[in-house]
Amino acid sequence: MSNRRSRQSSSALRISDDQMIDLVSQLCQLLPEIRERRRSDKVSASKVLQETCNYIRKLHREVDNLSERLSQLLDSVDEDSHEASVIRSLLM
Amino acid sequence: MASADKPINTDVPEKDVFALHFLQSLSNLRRQNAFNSPDDTTNNRVKKIKKAAYVSMARAAGGTNRLWSRALLRRAAKENNKVVIFSRRKKRVTWLRRSNRRDPVDAERLRNLLPGGGAMETSKLMEETAHYIKCLSMQVKVMQCLVDGLSAK
Repeated sequence: MSNRRSRQSSSALRISDDQMIDLVSQLCQLLPEIRERRRSDKVSASKVLQETCNYIRKLHREVDNLSERLSQLLDSVDEDSHEASVIRSLLM
Repeated sequence: MASADKPINTDVPEKDVFALHFLQSLSNLRRQNAFNSPDDTTNNRVKKIKKAAYVSMARAAGGTNRLWSRALLRRAAKENNKVVIFSRRKKRVTWLRRSNRRDPVDAERLRNLLPGGGAMETSKLMEETAHYIKCLSMQVKVMQCLVDGLSAK
């Protein structure tokens, strides 16, 4: 992550190193693979990026699967009462 | 130790915001009778639901404030042969990537996965990625809840 070059040529509104470190740690918190390690283990930037890609791909696949299941389920649901209760449970 | 920069905010709305948007999209699909036309194959139905999921997620979470949601909405509108006009952003800083810098392979892969990622500066890419991941997992939770609710007999 080369921030230094960008700092030379534009205003001070670029992301600072501190903010970058914070972002990377935010990302690490989100990735299940990395979150479960011990805090003392160092994680390389490359590993963070790899895990991020894997996790995003996994989430995309889940959206695909859930879309398929929804397509089947929505077909058969027609009663108002059933849908209303599902919607209610979602919004709780 | 006072840091002059605030940590960058990647918070996303609560689950019900995603749920509302998604349910609205689904009911729009129903109203357009997208599910009942005879020439509509199963594949088409699934594609429509998937698209509704992504579009509603983009609207719920980013709207026009996030680069990834703008890219996603733009792409979706293009598929419908529509044009989206976003209001001009006031910021002087542009997050456009400079073409003379190459990223390591991992960052390139990430750019391919994130909507609009190819055009972003690396630092902005990290911020948008964190937000995107949070939104995606919210959307997955909403869809899972819906599936569970509809599957329960």
